[in-house]
Amino acid sequence: MLYFHNSKKHWMRRRGVHRLGFLQIATAYKEYQTPEGPPVKALNGVSIDVRNNEFLTLLGPSGCGKTTLLKCIAGFEDLDGGDLLLDGLSLRSVPAHRRPFNTVFQNYALFPHMNVSQNVGYGLDVARVARAERDRRVAEMLEMVGLAGLGGRRPSQLSGGQQQRVALARSLVLKPRVLLLDEPLSALDRKMREAMQIELKTLQHSVGITFVFVTHDQGEALAMSDRIAVLAQGRLQQIGTPTEVYDRPANEFVANFVGTSNLFTGRVIAQDGPDLTVETANGRRLRAQGTGFSMGDAVRLVLRPEHLAIVAPDQGQPGCIIDGRVTDAVFVGSVIQVHADVGFGRRVMLLHPHDSRNAQLDIAPGAAVRIAYAPASAHLIAAEGGLAG
Amino acid sequence: MKGDTVRTRQRNTLLLLLAPVTLILAAFFMVPLGIVVVYSFLEPGLYGGVEWTWYPFNYGRILGWPLNDYEEFDPIYLLIFLNSLKFALLTVLFSLLICYPAAFWVSRMRAGRKGLVLFLITLPFFTSFLIRIYAWLLLLRPTGFINTTLQTAGLIAEPLDMLFSGFAVVLGMVYIFTPFMFLPIYANVEKLDHSLIRASQDLGANPVQTFLRVILPLTAPGIAAGSVIVFIPALGNFIVPSFLGGSKVQMTGNVIERSFLQSRDWPFGAALALLVMASVVLVLMVHAVRSGRSRDRVVA
Amino acid sequence: MRGRRTPLRRVWSALFNGYGLLFLAFLYLPLGLIVVYSFNANPINMAVWTGFTLDWYATIFRGASVEGNFDAAFTESPERIFAVVRNSFAVALLAAGLSTVIGTATALALARFRFVGRRFYQALLLLPMLVPDIVLGIALLIFFVGAGIELGLLTIVIGHVTFLSSYVFVVVSARLAGMDTTLEQASADLGAGPITTFRRITLPQIMPGVVGGFLLAFIISLDDVVITYFIAGVGSQTLPLFVLAMMRRGLRPQITALAVLILLFSFAVASIGLFLRSRKP
Repeated sequence: MLYFHNSKKHWMRRRGVHRLGFLQIATAYKEYQTPEGPPVKALNGVSIDVRNNEFLTLLGPSGCGKTTLLKCIAGFEDLDGGDLLLDGLSLRSVPAHRRPFNTVFQNYALFPHMNVSQNVGYGLDVARVARAERDRRVAEMLEMVGLAGLGGRRPSQLSGGQQQRVALARSLVLKPRVLLLDEPLSALDRKMREAMQIELKTLQHSVGITFVFVTHDQGEALAMSDRIAVLAQGRLQQIGTPTEVYDRPANEFVANFVGTSNLFTGRVIAQDGPDLTVETANGRRLRAQGTGFSMGDAVRLVLRPEHLAIVAPDQGQPGCIIDGRVTDAVFVGSVIQVHADVGFGRRVMLLHPHDSRNAQLDIAPGAAVRIAYAPASAHLIAAEGGLAG
Repeated sequence: MKGDTVRTRQRNTLLLLLAPVTLILAAFFMVPLGIVVVYSFLEPGLYGGVEWTWYPFNYGRILGWPLNDYEEFDPIYLLIFLNSLKFALLTVLFSLLICYPAAFWVSRMRAGRKGLVLFLITLPFFTSFLIRIYAWLLLLRPTGFINTTLQTAGLIAEPLDMLFSGFAVVLGMVYIFTPFMFLPIYANVEKLDHSLIRASQDLGANPVQTFLRVILPLTAPGIAAGSVIVFIPALGNFIVPSFLGGSKVQMTGNVIERSFLQSRDWPFGAALALLVMASVVLVLMVHAVRSGRSRDRVVA
Repeated sequence: MRGRRTPLRRVWSALFNGYGLLFLAFLYLPLGLIVVYSFNANPINMAVWTGFTLDWYATIFRGASVEGNFDAAFTESPERIFAVVRNSFAVALLAAGLSTVIGTATALALARFRFVGRRFYQALLLLPMLVPDIVLGIALLIFFVGAGIELGLLTIVIGHVTFLSSYVFVVVSARLAGMDTTLEQASADLGAGPITTFRRITLPQIMPGVVGGFLLAFIISLDDVVITYFIAGVGSQTLPLFVLAMMRRGLRPQITALAVLILLFSFAVASIGLFLRSRKP
C-alpha cells in the first residue's frame, strides 16, 4: 500500500491504486530570455502521461529540455504555458516543498554540515515525524541501499557511489509518489555506472515508486527504462518502450540518437501490401516493410549496423543488396565495425561478428563486398525533406 | 490560491528582504547627502543656522566665482584644497612604494607562514586608528622616542622638528592606510600567472625589462584599486592633520570641521564637503572607466 | 644553469625577507612602543625610562586614589571611563546587530534573486564605504538637526548602521557566492518551506560569514571616530571620542595605559574574526 506520508506539508493522501492519468504533463511550455536575440524555447508543447509504477526515462542531448522539464515537475521552475496534473489536479500553484515528489540531484546535494543519518532523516524531521519512528525508517532505508552502519559518517568521508546512495535513501525514505533523478550516474566511473544501473532498476521494482530519470546516454536509457521519452529542442520526439524506440524510431532524430543508423532517403515506387520498394535519388532500389505509406511518399530507410551482413556474391535477396568497398575495419572486441563505401559518396557501417567461421570472407580495406539485409529489418520513417541517398 | 504561483511568493520574499536596507540607505544616506548639496547653495544665517535663499556665493569664496558683496574670494581655501590633494597623493605614493614589495614578499612564502604573516599585516587595521596616531605622536615629538634615542646616542644635539609638519601628516596617513593599500595589491600579486614571467625570461628579457613590461602591467589593477581605496579617505582626513600637523598644516577636512562645529557656517562647510565629494566621484569614475576598458581589452 | 641561479635566488630571498621584516617592524614598532611606555614610571617624559610600574593601569580602575607620582588633576575618573566604555559597547552591539541583520538580508536578496534593479543595488551598497567619513558625518549632522532629532547615542547607532550594513553585505555575499545552491533546492524538495530551509540549511552554511560580518561591524563601530564625532552631541560620548578629548588636552601616561587596553581588546576580537573567516565550511 502506497501512501504519501509527510503529515502537515502534503496536500492530499491517496491510496496507490493505478489510475489513468497519474502524472500528466500537458502541453508544457517554457521559454528563457537571452541577452542576444529572441527567447529560447526550452519546452515547446511537451505532453507526456507518466504511468504509476513505471521507470520512465527522459532522453535527449544537452539543451533538449529534459532537465528543465524535470525541474518544472519538481517545482523549482514555473511553466510558462500548459499544466502539470497529479491525479487530475493541477500542481501549478503548489510550491516545490509541498509537492509529493523528491529529487536525486546530479551533484547529490548532500548537506555537508550533517551526517548521513541526519541527511536521510531530514525530510522526516521537517515533517515532524516522531524521533523513534524517524530513526527506524532511516535505519531501514540505509539497510535497503546497502549503507547500514554508516549513519555517523559525514558526506565528505564517503565515496561517490556511497554519496549517491545516501541521496537516494534521503529521497526514498519519504515515500514520494514520483522519484525524479537528474543524471545521477554521470559522475560515476563506467563500471560503477553499469552496476548502479542494475541496482536502480531493481530498487524501482522493489519499492514500487514511479521513477522519472533524466539522461543523455541512450545506452543507459535502453538498459533501465520501462519507457523512454526522447526529447529534442523542447519537443517530444517519441515515447515508447526501449525496443519500440530502438527498432521503430519515429523520425530521423530518434533513429540517429538512439543507436547508430544508416539512413537512405528516397521515394516509394512500388507497393505490395506491407512490402515496399524505395528508390533513392541515385537510383538505388531498396526493399523495406512498413504500413501507412503510399506510392510516391518521401521516406527515409533506417538500417541498423547489426541488421547488415556481409554475404558471398551469390547470396542475398534481390532488392536487399548493397555493393561496396571496405574503407575501414575497426576491431572493438566482440565485433568488427566495418565501414564501406557504397557509391555516390555514401558510406555505411555494419557490425561483423568476430568469429573464425567467417574468416573466409575478405573484409580487409579495399576489398569489394556485398552487403545484405532482411527486408523486415529495414524500418521506414516519413522524410521531412529530400536529400541525396 | 488562484494566480499565486511560485513567482509571486518569491517576489514578496524579495521585497521583504530588501526593505530594510532600502529604507536605511534612502533615509540616512541618500537624503542627508542630498541635503548637503542643498545646503551648499544656502545662505548662512546670522546666528548659525541657514536662510533658505538661493546662495551660490559660498562657492565664490572658495573658487572665486560667483561672488556678491558679502563674500570675498579667499584663495586660501583653494590652496588648502590643493594641499589636501598633494598630501593624499603623497600618501598614495608612499604607501604604494612600501606595500608593493611587501606583497611580493608575502606571496613568495609557504602556505603556513603566509597565513600567519597575512594575519599580522591585517591586524593593525582593526585597532583604533587614534591609538596608531597617538603612537606616532609619542615617536615624533621633541621629547619622543626618536629624538630621545638619537640624542642619547649622540647623533644629534638638538631635537629634530618632525612633528607639526607635512612630513608627519603624510607619515601618519601612510601608517594608517598601509593595510588598505596592501590587500588589493596582494590579491593581485597572488593571482599572477608565473608562467608569464618565465615566458618573458625565456624570451630573453632581463629582470628589469620583465618587471616593467610584464609584472608591472599585470599588477596594475591591484595598484589602481589600492590607490583609490587610500586616496579617498586620505583626501577628507582631518584627524591626522589635527594631531600630527597642528595649526601649521591644514587640510580641507580641518576647515570643514571648523565650519560645522566652531564657526557654524554650515553652508560653507557643505560647499567644501561637496568639493571633496566631487573629487572622489571623479576619481571613482576614472577608475571605473579604466578598469572596464582594460577588461574589454583583455577579452578582445 | 642551476648552479648559477641558486646564489642569486638566495640573495633575492634574503633581500625580500629583510624588507619584509622591516615592513612588519614599521607596522608594529609604534604599537610596541606604546605598550612599553605604558609601564614607564616616568610621569613627565614617557621616552625616558625611570622604572616599571602598573600605576597607570591602576588609575584607570581606581582613579586618582592610587599612590604614585602622577598629576591627579590630569587623571580621568574610573566612573567616567567605564561610562564611556559602556556607551561604546552598547552602541557597537546594537549597531553591529542591526547591520548584521540588514546586511545579511540584503546579501540574500541580491544573491538568490534575479531582478531589475540588481546592478543598481550592488553599486548603491558600495557607496557608503566609498564616501569619505567626514562627508557622511556632516550630512548626518545636518539631517538630524534639521529633522529635529536629538543627538545622542541613538543617532550614533543610526549613523553606524547606515554604513556598517555595507560591510556586512560584502562579507556575507562572499560567503553566499561560495555556497552550493542545490542544497537549498534539495531542502525544498524534501518538504522544507522557505523559512525552514533558511534556518536549517542556508544559515548554517553562511554562519561563519555572518559572524565574521558581525565582528567586523562591531570593531568598526567601536573604533569609529569621524562620523561619531559629528553626530554624538553633547551628552553622549564614546570611547574614541573620549580618547580624542584626552589627547587634545595633552599626553599623559594614563592615556597610554588605556590605549594599550583598547589595543589588546581589538586584537582579541579581530583575531577571532579573522580566524572564523579563514575556516572552510
